[in-house]
Amino acid sequence: MHSNRLGWILLAPTLVILFFFGVLPFVYVVFVSFHSWNPFAANPEMIFNGADNFRKIVFDAEFLNSVGVTVTFVFFAVVSELIVGYFLAQAFMKEFPGKAIFRTIHTLPLIMAPIIVGSVWKLMMTPSIGIIPHYLNEWFGLSVNIGTSSFAAFATIVVMDIWHWTPLVTLTLIAALVSLPQDPFEQAQIDGANKRQIFFHITVPMIAPAVVATVFIRLMDALRTVDEVWMLTGGGPGSATRFVGVHIFREVFPKTNYGYGSTISVIVLYLTIVACWLLYVTMLAPRNTKKD
Amino acid sequence: MSFAHKIAVSALALAVSAGAALAGGHEDFWKKAAEPYQGVTLRGVTESSPPSLYIREVLAPQFEALTGIRVDIETTSWDQMFDKAIKDMEAGTGIYDMVYIEQDIIYSYLARNFLTDTTQLLADNPQLQAPGYDEANFTTFADYFRGDNGHLYGIPMEAFIKIYLYRTDLFGDADIQAAFKAATGRDLAPATTHAEYTEIAKFFYEYGQANDMQLWGATVQGHTGHPASWYEYFESVAPTFGVYNWGIDANNNYAASVANGGAMNSDTAKEALQWWLDLRQYAPPESNQSTWTEVGTTFGAGRAAQGLVYGENAGWIAADDTKSLVVGKVGVALPPLADGVMAAAEAGDGYIGYYDGGAFGLPSTSKQKEAAALFLEYIGQNDVQPDWAVAAPRVTNTATYDDPKVVAMNEELGGYYDMLRDKGYLFAGAPAYPFHAQVREATAPTFYKILTGDLNVSEGLDQMAAEAEASLTELGYRK
Repeated sequence: MHSNRLGWILLAPTLVILFFFGVLPFVYVVFVSFHSWNPFAANPEMIFNGADNFRKIVFDAEFLNSVGVTVTFVFFAVVSELIVGYFLAQAFMKEFPGKAIFRTIHTLPLIMAPIIVGSVWKLMMTPSIGIIPHYLNEWFGLSVNIGTSSFAAFATIVVMDIWHWTPLVTLTLIAALVSLPQDPFEQAQIDGANKRQIFFHITVPMIAPAVVATVFIRLMDALRTVDEVWMLTGGGPGSATRFVGVHIFREVFPKTNYGYGSTISVIVLYLTIVACWLLYVTMLAPRNTKKD
Repeated sequence: MSFAHKIAVSALALAVSAGAALAGGHEDFWKKAAEPYQGVTLRGVTESSPPSLYIREVLAPQFEALTGIRVDIETTSWDQMFDKAIKDMEAGTGIYDMVYIEQDIIYSYLARNFLTDTTQLLADNPQLQAPGYDEANFTTFADYFRGDNGHLYGIPMEAFIKIYLYRTDLFGDADIQAAFKAATGRDLAPATTHAEYTEIAKFFYEYGQANDMQLWGATVQGHTGHPASWYEYFESVAPTFGVYNWGIDANNNYAASVANGGAMNSDTAKEALQWWLDLRQYAPPESNQSTWTEVGTTFGAGRAAQGLVYGENAGWIAADDTKSLVVGKVGVALPPLADGVMAAAEAGDGYIGYYDGGAFGLPSTSKQKEAAALFLEYIGQNDVQPDWAVAAPRVTNTATYDDPKVVAMNEELGGYYDMLRDKGYLFAGAPAYPFHAQVREATAPTFYKILTGDLNVSEGLDQMAAEAEASLTELGYRK
């Protein structure tokens, strides 16, 4: 009883902070999502409009497009980061000359703010002037213009995200791989298992919790990507890179459509939770069931 | 001389001269008026632009040295500046005592009573009225910051027109002139019509290609995902064809479509947009990613023979050899116009381009209104204007034009200040819409699709007109 009270006392500051900076704003956003509220409307007051915003969202072509673009981006970015991150982690498990330097350089993008990453890539991708379009043209005769080509803009953002966030995946997987017990691997080798069998039947199941945790983190991050895209393309060309985060930003800030913007935020949060739950069920639940 | 260098030199010069200048004038007033506000810190937020940086680096420290009132000026990006100011004023937190008011947002702020009536504030507090400050000193640009009662709600701090810049070295080259004459049958001179402008763009594009030069025919502010492109069309291109105020008729239930009495999707509007889109074939490849900043950079890098450029960039393009490759090679002219547009502008029935600028306003939510009013008066005085105008080309006070420093700078700028003074009345700021950003954002996604070719001009403008009306209806302005 006494230790419980001490526990609560120690937790109290964190809970208070969480309540004021997490729970309260969330409840407020949900509250606002049921209102029509634009401070620059003829009537700037907050007006309750029931579920109108939620009904409107179903027919909002720009929003639906942004969801589609975001999901595609998340798929390509996260899967690529996982694959590249795994191979890099395996590489870092071995000794090779210059490993420490390479690992440090490889981790550097992680410490860069997304807005800076977007700025740097914008400089590198400026049509005809940027270093990447210049050399793509000089070496391969490719004309890359992220201002006109939807594919080029989208692909650049995927590559930029991979460059920025793969180190996180690598570090997480290194931690997971290092902590694996050697016994199952030795046992499998004695039993005559080949590398593929060891990978799929021992390595993958054993690092699955770490993989899922990493995917959760990257999934949630990727779904709310704004800064880099804002800096690099502004959501263009057209709506080709208008991700959900950018769409919400435009609704809430320049357009000051607080009510509808809140509705989109709530829906995106819901979609994120559903996506994470599906991922959890798909990747971890069968394993847990087998254990039971 | 770089801008930073100019700022540093100006700061030094002004620090040395400020004491003497103000002592000879009104130093006693400032010290006495500031007495009740000792220990006060004023906070302002503004866009990170040359005129604002001058306030932060020169005027604010000068004011602090004179009055003891500390002034912290936060300079940030265009988006962040609006975001921070609006949130502060909407929530009533009172963080900021001064906010930058871009000319096009003033009507939104006035509609929400975000701003303090500075004329009234000074009238109610005679002890705050600085001897060197007078509203009559401002140019007519100040009128954009007046409310319905004629009072000022912001002290003008920058004002410039979006002008037609051209390369005097290229236009004056005898060989190029001959080649142009041979190709077109007319003399090479800054365009006065759209057809001439396109012809010049085409000529220089082909000239650049033929001579393996990094030279194109014209700048285009054509970013496919940034409002800068939307602004170039509606503020700088459409008016030159005679489509004003974004094609929205405020006196006709805010109609945007031709069917309802607007002009956003009129044949003239479509002709204007098509003309502008066609220019892109002669523009540098970066045009599709260019905002107002990149257009200035493109011109300063010598990559375009002509272009429509915001006046705030004209200074460094024409005079700063650390940033610009075309110093001494820049001329200014009025933009090309369709028939009848100049006559309409001179008669006050239209305009030929964008008169841009901003003011420093005092939020209603400020907790230090009186002290902030003193600072606003300080930056509005005639005395502080000339060095400011040289460091960052902007003129807000009529007397500034005649200052020797500004006259000299005018020469470097190819007569830009003369044009601002003599022809400024032909230009206009953004229309008096309280829904400026809202309608822009409602229509911009479609506009970008026109730029990418996903929609043709006719379909796109029809759709934009419908979206503008739908947005205005939803906002409650259109009945």
